[in-house]
Amino acid sequence: MEVLDKLVNVALIAATLRTTAPILLVALGGSFTTKAGIFNIGLEGQMLVGAFFAVIGSIWTGSAFAGVACGVAAALVFALAFAVLVVTFRANEVVVGLALNILAGGMTISLMKAIFGTRGSIVGHGIVGLPKVQIPGAQALLGSWAPLISGFTPIVYVSFVAVPLLVLFYNRTRLGLYIRVVGEKPEAAEALGISITRVRYIASLLCGLLAGLAGAHLSLGYITMFTENMSSGRGFMAVAILIFSNGDPLKVLAGCLLFGFADAFSLRLQTFGFPSYLVLTVPYVVALTALFALSYRARPTIIKETLASMQKLLSVDRNSAPADRNPQ
Amino acid sequence: MMSDRLRAFSGQIIAVSVALLMGAIIIILVGESPVHVLMTLLRGAFGDQEKIAGTLLQTTPILICGVAACIGLRGGMFNVGIEGQLFLGGFAAAWVGFTFSLPAGIHTLAALALAVVAGAAWVAIPAFFRARYNTNEVVSTILSNYIAVLLTSYLTIFLFKRPGGWSETPPILATAYLPEIFSFSRLNWGLFIGLLLAVGVALIFRYTSWGYGVTMVGSAPKFAEYGGVNVKRQGFVVLLLSGAVGGLAGGIETLGVHHRFMEGFAPGFGFDGLIAALLANGSPVATIVTALFFGALRSGSLLLEVDTSASREIITVIQALIILSVSAQVLIRRRGDSQAGERRWKF
Repeated sequence: MEVLDKLVNVALIAATLRTTAPILLVALGGSFTTKAGIFNIGLEGQMLVGAFFAVIGSIWTGSAFAGVACGVAAALVFALAFAVLVVTFRANEVVVGLALNILAGGMTISLMKAIFGTRGSIVGHGIVGLPKVQIPGAQALLGSWAPLISGFTPIVYVSFVAVPLLVLFYNRTRLGLYIRVVGEKPEAAEALGISITRVRYIASLLCGLLAGLAGAHLSLGYITMFTENMSSGRGFMAVAILIFSNGDPLKVLAGCLLFGFADAFSLRLQTFGFPSYLVLTVPYVVALTALFALSYRARPTIIKETLASMQKLLSVDRNSAPADRNPQ
Repeated sequence: MMSDRLRAFSGQIIAVSVALLMGAIIIILVGESPVHVLMTLLRGAFGDQEKIAGTLLQTTPILICGVAACIGLRGGMFNVGIEGQLFLGGFAAAWVGFTFSLPAGIHTLAALALAVVAGAAWVAIPAFFRARYNTNEVVSTILSNYIAVLLTSYLTIFLFKRPGGWSETPPILATAYLPEIFSFSRLNWGLFIGLLLAVGVALIFRYTSWGYGVTMVGSAPKFAEYGGVNVKRQGFVVLLLSGAVGGLAGGIETLGVHHRFMEGFAPGFGFDGLIAALLANGSPVATIVTALFFGALRSGSLLLEVDTSASREIITVIQALIILSVSAQVLIRRRGDSQAGERRWKF
């Protein structure tokens, strides 16, 4: 019981919220592209350039918020490149996404070497981290539970507030509806006169915006430094979440909390002397298990859909068969 | 037919040139002279016989990983997990190498066999779920890469660490070595294995009905199913074979070059192989050329790190730019054909 108390406590839940924030933001960003019918494996790279340029911007301007803006701008450039290649040039989205990820990895390391003359990581150099928001009255109201709502960086609040906003966006706004239509029934969208190209561009850029914020949170909020490939697969985990949540914000939140918890819990396990290498695999194993388990669960629907479409096909065949025999 | 191929080839060349031009701009931004970087790369890759052997040494794993990627791409599967299969295969081969003592030759074969099995086993679960429940194989294989790298590090450091060593296993016995070709380089028979594999896989795709079925599933799954191909089982087998070749790449790297397994022993070869295969349009024989190109870049980048202030990752940037411009060239060439981009990389 004592061990359990040490493992699971307010600090762990607060840590969960902190580790959930970046993956939640990047997954919510990906929900725009998922809803718009684009498979966006490039989230990882957008997040990484967001993290790198947030640090650069923070050093150059001396302001954390200007740094965040720089990070978001860089992620938007990557998102735009993705959109140009995938939407306009209709290139294979997996290839483009992977190539942009590789580009992000190589570019950040090259620039790090060129600007700072070092490899590995950027620490110090006057990086200004994001301030922690102390909510007035939280201590008085919640006592020892106060760390659950107070003392996070602004981006953490943004990420959780974004969930209900996105629910409203998809259900109550015209653009949200357009994005869903373009993703689910592009022919219908075309018939309605919606520009598929424009909607997909907007979805990609909105995705870049949130992915850039997620990256900035990694390097200016979560910790105040940049390391090589510091996004460490969070973008890919987000894609896994998007696959089994279909981009629905509430399901995305549930999935992200699971990963945030796995992340925070594995960090906690490390302090108990478990081999760090095995502990570090926990979030990836959780992601894979969830992906496999939920695709297994989706099986009955797939079979049902297949049956339905086969029935449709067969009935169409039956109707059209006589017509074939009597060509007019 | 021929002019089609010629056009595809010239398109590839144009795309590579555009990427190199963009790379030159980035090199200028990083504060180096593109000419100096290019000359350094060339000198590092082809400067003398040792450098050329070094280039071929780097080419070997890229080529084998490229063939692994080709098998997947032809069957319509993105095996992005070659990196993980490479690590598992490398560790498995090392384990056979330092645990058992067998006669020379047989020892090598046994180690390579286990590497192949390890690579196939590692991709088996994602392959099963892809074939049976249509679970996206791109994401599952990428995520399994992270686990593979951490797992092999754990095995190396916590269970099989060389006493007194840093993060490496004990050296393998000399009976398990892959013979070296020259006395002045670690270049080994692995290169020949890679070349044979590339040609062999190309022949299988060209002349066997199984190979035709795989290509058909990759390019038109519905048609293939109608034609009597068991699409699900074939998807599973294709990913398994791709993983097996990925494991082989790791085994050859261990037995031929490092003679032990160490943490982070072959970073990025799996991704380089995938890019080489994409640039070669999924053709194993063309992958020989693209792998040599990337091998030269990698080999040259070692000197780049020493002789200039640029980082060797600049070549990763160039590789990514090449793939991006190859994927974009379709529109430039066939402006009216909106489907052209979708057809590319659907084999």
